[in-house]
Amino acid sequence: MSNALLRRIRPEQFREVILFLVVIGLLVFFSFQINDYFNARSVNRLTTGLAIPLVVAVGQVLVVLTRNIDLSVSSVCGLSAYMVGTLLTRQNDLHPVLALVIAMLIGVVLGAINGLIVAYGGVPAIITTLGTLALYRVVLVEFSGARTVTTAELPDWMNDVPSATLASAGGYDLRLMVGIALVVVILGQLTLRYLPFGRRLYAIGSNPDAARTAGLPVRRDVFLAFTLSGMLAGLAGFMFLVRFGNITVTAAQGLELQVVAAVVVGGVNIFGGSGSMIGALLGVLMIEILQQSLLRWAGISEFVKDAILGLLILVAITADAVILGRLREMWVRVRRRDRELAQSVPADESGVVHGA
Amino acid sequence: MTMDPAAQVQPPATQQAGAAPILEMVHISKSFGGTQALEDVSLQLYSGEIHALLGENGAGKSTLIKIMTGIQQQDSGEMRIDGQQVRVASSQDAQRLGVAAIYQEPMIFPDLSVAENIFIGHTNRGKIVDRRRMEREAEAVLARLDVNLDVGEPARGLTLAEQQTVEIAKAISLDVRVLIMDEPTASLSAHEVRRLFRIVASLKRQGVAVLFISHRMEEVFEISDTITVLRDGRWISTLPRAEMTPALAIRQMVGREVRELFHREQREPGRVRLSVRDLSREGRFRNVSFDLRAGEVLGFAGLVGAGRTDVGLALFGVAPADSGVIELDGNAVTIGSPQAAMAMGIAYSTEDRRQLGLVLPLSISSNITLPSLPRFLNRAGLVKRYAERSTAEEFRERLRIRTPSVDAPTGSLSGGNQQKVVISKWLETNPQVLILDEPTRGIDVGAKVEVHQLIDELASKGMAIIMISSDMPEVLAMSDRVLVMREGRQMAIFDQRDATQERVLAAAMGQSDGDLTANSEPAAARATTVMDAEISGDTLAAGANRE
Amino acid sequence: MARDLLRRLRSWEGLLLLCLLVVLAYNISRVPNFLTIGNQINLFQLGIEKAIVILAMTFVIISGEIDLSVASMMGLSAAITAAAFEAGVPLPVAILLALSVGVGFGLINGYFVAVVGLSSLAVTLAGYIGFRGLARLLVQDRSVGDFPEWFTNLGQHGLIGPITLSIAIYFILAVLAIVVLHFSGLGRLTYVIGNSAPVARFSGVSVVRTRLIIFMMSGLIAALAGVLMTARLGAVRASTAEGFELDIITVVLLGGVSIFGGVGSMAGVLMATYLVLNLRNGLVIAGVTGNTQTGIIGLLLILSVLLPNLAARVRERLHRRQADAAVRHHQPPPGDTPWVTEPG
Repeated sequence: MSNALLRRIRPEQFREVILFLVVIGLLVFFSFQINDYFNARSVNRLTTGLAIPLVVAVGQVLVVLTRNIDLSVSSVCGLSAYMVGTLLTRQNDLHPVLALVIAMLIGVVLGAINGLIVAYGGVPAIITTLGTLALYRVVLVEFSGARTVTTAELPDWMNDVPSATLASAGGYDLRLMVGIALVVVILGQLTLRYLPFGRRLYAIGSNPDAARTAGLPVRRDVFLAFTLSGMLAGLAGFMFLVRFGNITVTAAQGLELQVVAAVVVGGVNIFGGSGSMIGALLGVLMIEILQQSLLRWAGISEFVKDAILGLLILVAITADAVILGRLREMWVRVRRRDRELAQSVPADESGVVHGA
Repeated sequence: MTMDPAAQVQPPATQQAGAAPILEMVHISKSFGGTQALEDVSLQLYSGEIHALLGENGAGKSTLIKIMTGIQQQDSGEMRIDGQQVRVASSQDAQRLGVAAIYQEPMIFPDLSVAENIFIGHTNRGKIVDRRRMEREAEAVLARLDVNLDVGEPARGLTLAEQQTVEIAKAISLDVRVLIMDEPTASLSAHEVRRLFRIVASLKRQGVAVLFISHRMEEVFEISDTITVLRDGRWISTLPRAEMTPALAIRQMVGREVRELFHREQREPGRVRLSVRDLSREGRFRNVSFDLRAGEVLGFAGLVGAGRTDVGLALFGVAPADSGVIELDGNAVTIGSPQAAMAMGIAYSTEDRRQLGLVLPLSISSNITLPSLPRFLNRAGLVKRYAERSTAEEFRERLRIRTPSVDAPTGSLSGGNQQKVVISKWLETNPQVLILDEPTRGIDVGAKVEVHQLIDELASKGMAIIMISSDMPEVLAMSDRVLVMREGRQMAIFDQRDATQERVLAAAMGQSDGDLTANSEPAAARATTVMDAEISGDTLAAGANRE
Repeated sequence: MARDLLRRLRSWEGLLLLCLLVVLAYNISRVPNFLTIGNQINLFQLGIEKAIVILAMTFVIISGEIDLSVASMMGLSAAITAAAFEAGVPLPVAILLALSVGVGFGLINGYFVAVVGLSSLAVTLAGYIGFRGLARLLVQDRSVGDFPEWFTNLGQHGLIGPITLSIAIYFILAVLAIVVLHFSGLGRLTYVIGNSAPVARFSGVSVVRTRLIIFMMSGLIAALAGVLMTARLGAVRASTAEGFELDIITVVLLGGVSIFGGVGSMAGVLMATYLVLNLRNGLVIAGVTGNTQTGIIGLLLILSVLLPNLAARVRERLHRRQADAAVRHHQPPPGDTPWVTEPG
């Protein structure tokens, strides 16, 4: 690794750059392997497939940054989809925005329960959300009585939303759903970068002891992160309902794995403190590309998906611990040497004194 | 009987007649369990004053700081700011009152930028993070300190010195009025110390009161305006720098009560067991050389952080040395792991018995057999309970471990008895060389005497013992020879008859020996003559008069 | 005597026993002949694979780690047995293959945790997803069956009287687990490392080796459970044993093992196993479906960590209040010398 490059880019950014290159590499590879790889229909299917995991991933990033994890998102998503779906079958004239808000509120409540137990109850996040993953699913089963919400029962506007398109060029559409997901990603990234809350999430994951000593509201922030993760999973539930229409009790099952994998692969450190929404976006993109392209690529069955996810996670965390650790050491050394060089230039005698 | 003349001339309250102090500690007392950490200590800090706090390990400096910063609360006495009594129940309280502390190990968020590290604790900076403004302001704060750092860069890459600077900047940005610096220079290079002092000087110009703690005498005398000495949790003196000398300071710091200490017989040591030449470990210690004979107790003296424990860890293979020669019974050996060390008959009893020495919830007997567990297993890999128990019972009797049963959890024992369990577990490995790191720290007098008796008994049976201790009278009373370390380097090895508290402390603080010779008394003689006497005043006065 | 009993009841095991008695009483009152051997064997037979894996998980959690991958390992082992058999490999060889994969993947988990130093949570999360993925790869969306009769007979019928092979293995392993955890060197080191790995290191104990053994054991036992499950069900799907890790971890924690390691006993875990088996049975009697039972288990999981936490906090607060009061009453006399107070 050249020093010049290290001067420009931080190790954390390397992860995102490398991931970006991998995504490009995958696209190039598959475009040679698969005929007509970039046809409009496939690309549209790919982007549409991104929307739901992306929204959930944004919430997951908030939680993972604080050294926690939220495995309950798939059940939250399914529960919110089912409850709002049921509500809409009974009240067909419910305003879409109101339905959306209700979906998010359901998420907020469920996320807040997670947050309460983790932040104020002191139960490790993995235990809590593994428990609520099962619990929320059961609430769904009980609530539904194993009935299914079907497209036919839903109001008509539901049918139009999935194909609603914000912009279109030569058959390549920017669907409303994808637009919403991108807005969530952007809002998430802005939160992380520009809100004190976002910065505190990094601080908490970066050094929890120091965060407490510095008097940061650690518990409240962790609670909020879980609540927001729940809210976004609720929103994803609404999108799920809109996209699929038919909601069974197993709706969105397994989504949590895809999202956690995407976040970890996207360079969000599972031990908190570093990562970005851009990384999560790249992670979701990469997994979605792999999944859909392998399906189309002759010889690779769809069943390989989870095996690859598991391997990706292992590779990502190992790379994080081993390679990134090395890179960081190198980076630190290079920066230090630079600073020492800068200081050995007799700046002291140059008369630059700022007394107050 | 005369009191220390200096202390009489300058009672603390009349420090500067004109100005009122920013912060006053008034008659502060604090005890932990049975140990009085602070007793009736008073201190005033004035605006634009650099006030050094001196004292041996355990003199009460840390406790005083912790009370000032709200980490601990005093039992009695009060803290005043601008003459008003204040209650400091948390570090946030202290921060609000303008009191901040910087420790040896800074509290840094490695993933956040320098600017963010400075401003993360601020609550009144608006709803949106204005990076530009924050970085501008961070630069301005750093400029006030004459420091040039890239404020947008993550703090991960900063050296310890730079991290400290960031902490100071954080304090300044919070409009700190009293800045406490606890051994800030301990791990800095000379160049970095210069820079830190420039910063401290500029703080002084800005009217901040600085409480400065350092074990480097020359630094204290270079930078401070006023020097306060604590000893055994008590206030000894507060003097303007002009009226203090390093020799006087050292004499005031030593002379802790030595009564009830065990007195060892002089014995002829045996052949050389362990021979160490130029042992070094990067960043920890350098060129340590000594011989250790069978039946000898070699004391390792020095201040906390002098690298003594690191030498012990290197000899036990926990953190091996990177260069130098270790010979055991004349054969050169490499010690790469604790297992290797144990196989060679080396044992190391840690200074941190609660974190590193004992599994507190487990029984006394399982702790005692832990290092030698393979010997207590039968062929099926099961623990031989009977053998284990009887071994534990043996030690219980021999070391007088006070417990209803050896099956009791080790955590239920008092500190002294826990220490005996730690020693037992290492004795059970039948070591030739026993390294005891702070064997009597935090244990009561009775147990202390028993540990001392045990050390003597082990040495008389031919064991070679290294005793690392920050308790000066203990080192002097127990050791055949005393090796003194300072900042990773070996300063001197004294024979018992040459070792005096003053000489050892002077070596530990990097002072030359010459200006102290007037006051040297053989340690053994002192240990007996000063028994039960109020030695502090007497000896100090004697020293001062002679000067 | 009465006070002694009360103290025992207040311990975690006591609480478990109490719960067990209540649930048992309910079951007995609702099902005639509930305590007959036949009924009890049916009770065990339904959750026997989980019960077996619980034994290994107890070691993992007491050593301060976690293994989220066990259920996926069970599924993978079942899938390997089925796929290999389908491909013409003799069944005993296929079983051996599945068990060795269990050992191998257990060692891989252990390697990343003990040697590379990654958190077991992250490593076994990867295994949780990855092993299941491999199982899917092997059997896809089919149900693979048609095993020889001797194999399914072993799984379904009594081996010694009414006792099935799985139950026999379980009881042998349970005795073994008690002996190893409480009476062997490995068990001792499991507690030591779970309480404090640094103490182990400073005592010359090989922490890496112990961790490797524990994870390997976990992989092997999970694989064995997968094979037994194959025999019992007679058919393998990719989703075999899906979600079992929740039950398994819950029972271990419910048995009084601390999620932070170092604390717990096999007795507690065995009792919790029996309790949960009875509870599920009782829930079935009460007409609660399997899914909902899982939810209740999830709730139990959270409560089994949350309640001790809250109790500890309340106790601490009370303690602090008492300590404060004590400080207020006990002002040290002035001039007291630092040395003489503390009694030996």
